[in-house]
Amino acid sequence: MQSSFDFQYIIELMPILLKYLGVTMEMALWGFVFALILALGLALVRVFKITFVQHLASLYISFFRGTPLLVQLFLLYYGFPQFMPIFVGMDAFTAAIIGLSLHFSAYMAESIRAAILGIDKSQMEACLSLGMTRLQAMKRVILPQASRVATPSLMNYFIDMIKSTSLAFTLGVVEIMAKAQMEASSSFKFFESFLAVAVVYWVVVIIFTRIQHLLEYKLNKAY
Amino acid sequence: MIKVTSLSKKFGDLEVLKDINFEVSQGEIIVIIGPSGTGKSTLLRCLNYLETPSSGQIHIGDVNIDALSHTAKEVTSLRKQSSFVFQNYSLFANKTALQNVAESLITVWGVPKSEALAKAEAILIKVGLKDKLHIYPSQLSGGQQQRVGIARAMAAKGEVILFDEPTSALDPEWVDEVLAVMKQLAVERQTMIVVTHEMQFAKEVADTVIFMEDGYIVEQGSPQQIFENPQHQRTKAFVKRALKKGY
Repeated sequence: MQSSFDFQYIIELMPILLKYLGVTMEMALWGFVFALILALGLALVRVFKITFVQHLASLYISFFRGTPLLVQLFLLYYGFPQFMPIFVGMDAFTAAIIGLSLHFSAYMAESIRAAILGIDKSQMEACLSLGMTRLQAMKRVILPQASRVATPSLMNYFIDMIKSTSLAFTLGVVEIMAKAQMEASSSFKFFESFLAVAVVYWVVVIIFTRIQHLLEYKLNKAY
Repeated sequence: MIKVTSLSKKFGDLEVLKDINFEVSQGEIIVIIGPSGTGKSTLLRCLNYLETPSSGQIHIGDVNIDALSHTAKEVTSLRKQSSFVFQNYSLFANKTALQNVAESLITVWGVPKSEALAKAEAILIKVGLKDKLHIYPSQLSGGQQQRVGIARAMAAKGEVILFDEPTSALDPEWVDEVLAVMKQLAVERQTMIVVTHEMQFAKEVADTVIFMEDGYIVEQGSPQQIFENPQHQRTKAFVKRALKKGY
């Protein structure tokens, strides 16, 4: 069956998709917040070389970087409930956020660690020489400087995460990708539907790239 | 007030400091001179435990610390007794001049923020940086940065300020303004230990000059004694060379 490109359909589909953009963004934002917290913890454990825990952190990072996100989401949502009852009642939306957080925290931990190690060691020495503890130095001097270094790559992970939320549709979360798929199935206008959803993702990413540049400009003011 | 006993430091097989002993009394100004790579900076860093000595005792103020049995808590209390001025300034790059100086008061000494900032401002005015309070280090000249570095050390409430070649990284045009601040501190009888190649400063300001070579204290005495009547052959050779170079 051959049909012509239906531009009008895309225009009509947009408001329907945008209604579900909230679900997508909610997953990405929560996922990013939790990933950031986890990543900071992992990075600090590795920077301070905390005995034993640092090996766990390395194993964690290795696993979540070494396996596909889709596999991790399936393990979490379809696999775990088989053995662990607390996962049985978990809804797909929550599972997606947990999966995204775990996955991206592994990558982000490495960015943060690299940023911390990139700060000249004289900054730590200056803190210590004044009688500050290593933790105080980290909080007051090292992390504020490292956050500037890490911002571009962390923002890239955030943008990647926005796009990766589309995988949540395989768990049954109705977000923009799922909605586009549904609309496509009922209208048979696959090209238009997926083009529309692609445009939505693209515009969102452009907006956040813009925000990233503003943020970098602001953080660079002191230097 | 400060007593260093049998201090030694090894990096692997290399013994950088060998059986160092000396004392400093309150208000005394010590200048350590000697060829490069003879352990002067390492000694200073050991006094602050930025390097951990291999053996020996350090006593500053009311803190005693033994290299062979020190705890993290002792190290922190020792560091509170002194403050450090670095060759490369090492100002906190994410903080303004004012915040740099106030930092230790707030974090280490628990001084309320407004009070700490007021005190920091007073110190910066004293070192001639009244109009640079809210400027970040990257926008200051070398001389200005080092004056902030000294102000930061002054604020830290330590008994002694340790200066590690404070003018070596500076362009010649900025050296005098930094030395002027140090001289002012000397007039006020701030206890200082200064590692420097500025022989003129040592002559004018020091109460005691320590000459180090190969990890040993070769000779120590008043500036007159070290510069005009050195006892050891090696001191003589060094002083002659140093003064000829016009340091």
